[in-house]
Amino acid sequence: MAATTTSGGENPSAAPMTRTLTPPRRRLPGWATGMLWVAVAVTVLSTTAYLTNIPQLTSSSTTQTAVRLALPILLAGLGGLWAERAGVVNIGLEGMMIFGTWGAAWGGYYWGPWVGLLAAAVFGALGGLIHALATVTFGVNHIVSGVAMNLLGAGVTKYLSTLIFQPLSHNPRESPPVPKFETYSAAGLSDWLAQLEATQRVGIADVAGILRGLVTGVSPLTMLGILLVPVTYLVLWRTRFGLRLRSCGENPVATESLGVNVYLHKYLAVVASGALAGIGGATLVLNPGQAGFLENQTNGRGYIGLAAMIFGNWRPGGLLGGAALFGYSDGLQLSSGGQTVLALVYGVVLLLGVLVLVQLFRRRWLAAGVSLVAAALLYTLYWTVDELPSELTTYLPHFLTLVVLAVASQRLRPPAADGVVYRRGEGD
Amino acid sequence: MRRRMRGLVVTAVALTSALSLASCARDTGTQNNGAGNTGNKTGCTLAPKPPAASTTASSSAQDEQVDGSKLKVGLAYDIGGRGDASFNDAAAAGLDMAISKLGVSKDNTKELTASPQESEDAKQTRLRQLASEGYSPIITVGFAYSDALKAVAPQFPDTKFAIVDATVDGAPNVTPLIFAEEQGSFLAGVAAAYKSKSCHIGFVGGVETPLIKKFEAGYIQGAKAAAPDIKIESKYLTPAGDNSGFQDPPKGNVVAKGEIDAGADVLYHASGASGKGVFEAAKTANALAIGVDSDQYNQATVADFKDVIMTSMIKRVDVAVYDYVKAVAKGDVSTLPKVFDLKSDGVGYSTSGGKVDDIKDVLDGYKGQIVDGKITVKDTPGN
Repeated sequence: MAATTTSGGENPSAAPMTRTLTPPRRRLPGWATGMLWVAVAVTVLSTTAYLTNIPQLTSSSTTQTAVRLALPILLAGLGGLWAERAGVVNIGLEGMMIFGTWGAAWGGYYWGPWVGLLAAAVFGALGGLIHALATVTFGVNHIVSGVAMNLLGAGVTKYLSTLIFQPLSHNPRESPPVPKFETYSAAGLSDWLAQLEATQRVGIADVAGILRGLVTGVSPLTMLGILLVPVTYLVLWRTRFGLRLRSCGENPVATESLGVNVYLHKYLAVVASGALAGIGGATLVLNPGQAGFLENQTNGRGYIGLAAMIFGNWRPGGLLGGAALFGYSDGLQLSSGGQTVLALVYGVVLLLGVLVLVQLFRRRWLAAGVSLVAAALLYTLYWTVDELPSELTTYLPHFLTLVVLAVASQRLRPPAADGVVYRRGEGD
Repeated sequence: MRRRMRGLVVTAVALTSALSLASCARDTGTQNNGAGNTGNKTGCTLAPKPPAASTTASSSAQDEQVDGSKLKVGLAYDIGGRGDASFNDAAAAGLDMAISKLGVSKDNTKELTASPQESEDAKQTRLRQLASEGYSPIITVGFAYSDALKAVAPQFPDTKFAIVDATVDGAPNVTPLIFAEEQGSFLAGVAAAYKSKSCHIGFVGGVETPLIKKFEAGYIQGAKAAAPDIKIESKYLTPAGDNSGFQDPPKGNVVAKGEIDAGADVLYHASGASGKGVFEAAKTANALAIGVDSDQYNQATVADFKDVIMTSMIKRVDVAVYDYVKAVAKGDVSTLPKVFDLKSDGVGYSTSGGKVDDIKDVLDGYKGQIVDGKITVKDTPGN
């Protein structure tokens, strides 16, 4: 959150209207950078899996677990993206997710998973509407309103769950079992990949394992969630509506001067944000392998989604990467334990090694030195212990996020007017 | 230019969806070979069975007549209160039994419930309120009350307190009602070893606290007693201090799936509400699961998975509460067992669903050995 709060101090109206922006020297388009990162990640993982002889790193079941754990984070992050691109900080994602979990369980119990999904989106959107009302219309501090949303989400669903679920499940904190989505597999492809994976050939088997995890046992909700990433990109970056929405987050006064209804766009963005968070909550209820509604089941995933969004530099592609990283490492530590995590440490050493070479090539001596020391330290760790203690492995996702942030050393740039309360006509 | 791009995108999307639709098969109905139980299907080489139990350890025998009509019983629940289908409900059942069997008047009982995220003061106030209204005994449900009791119990030396799942040092008027979870878990381990086809079983703990480690220790010891060369996976969802492990079914599901992938085909969970995820993983992979605390086979919230719940390790909080009220009515708390164990039927296993009926004699044999002291069950894991 540090990035957003510092930006909150800026007054957009004081900023010069015409900024001389130096065009960023981008040698590669965004999608190519993304593919490059994926290629690097797969190479590092398959090398590590080969050298340490731990095939779980790239097995299909690991990938499946990663997708399952990443999905709610991804959707919460997308929700955050919509709101913050329009200049509204949405720390109430967690509360809107809770609304979504309740809505999904309620709709799903009575009318099946599709209605559950719809109800989750509607409930989340309602939460978003309240947040929009407070922040846009009444100018409440975004953080205050967001925290209130989180409390409201927990409280209202507790009340509703006691009212509606208790007679059915005899438990005020849980819903009765809720019907789940079916899962689908790409039949021929999946089997072929399974054969490839079983060969255990370096590289090929690893890629096959990862791909197989992505095409096996996928629910419609998972497809929808992943599809929403390109959809978000297209809507926000390739349509007129998206441009207006983003300009509300960069400089609402200038946007207003061009005749755009800033309030309306902010409202739409925050409502969409709530709906996305609600769908994120629904993934915790309606996807196979999940329970029904359960008090506190979101367990801070809304906040992690927000972190994934910041990690991804307020861009859908980066956000997908952040969510995937978190889901992957969390899945790995939960399903395989200390030895596998240690192998991942070895992978990080490899990554740092490559980085040292790159930095040396670029003649950045300090960065290279720091990376070298870090790599040496991690390698010592890898060499001296047989298995990481569980107290450490639990926080692997958090460690890894830190490491990648440090390695990528990306310059984060939030929307310029993110978190700033805007009043209509204040630019006059 | 732009239109052409759009056309390309549309064609690409249409093509991909057509392709994926053509090859996408629904998973239900197709062969699901997700379970990792590819090992020998014959099961473990089992240790010789214990001798059949000579006498089934009887509980509080026949109920001698105890008059509890003068008692004013106060109950302070942990978060959730009456109706949580778990811990608190079991305590409530004990109180109800005392009302019906001991003649405790319902008007003379008072039940108060903790709210989530309440302060320590709120717990103390609740206990003071009960004590100053003249309730005695006052039963507090859950170790969360131990600090509050430490402060309040000395202020009311004539009031009798009890606490479930904890001991309070230096307060003679507080009776601890603690359980030998490791003994019940021992039997769960035996059952798992007998039912495992791949001779490979798993344990899923919620939070890595000493209390949950008792479950793990007993389970491992029991499984090894029944099948010395059995393989056991064991994992906790969260480390001590992070209590979210008790209510995170997705994590429970992932951990259980990981253990099944590693080859386990019987899973025992001690992870509260996260157990739902464990049951789900077991059901998907055609494995078996063992419930905890109450008879989960009959629990409405996990009714979808009842066919994989082969037994549950039962912790009879209701028995403990009832016995305690009875002991107070008799005026002699010292007759209570120090620990509610197999001998006093404070812990045990459930038979609903009939999946362990064929090994009941074995389980009762081991139970007899524990009761007779021939087997001592450790309460911490590790060799």
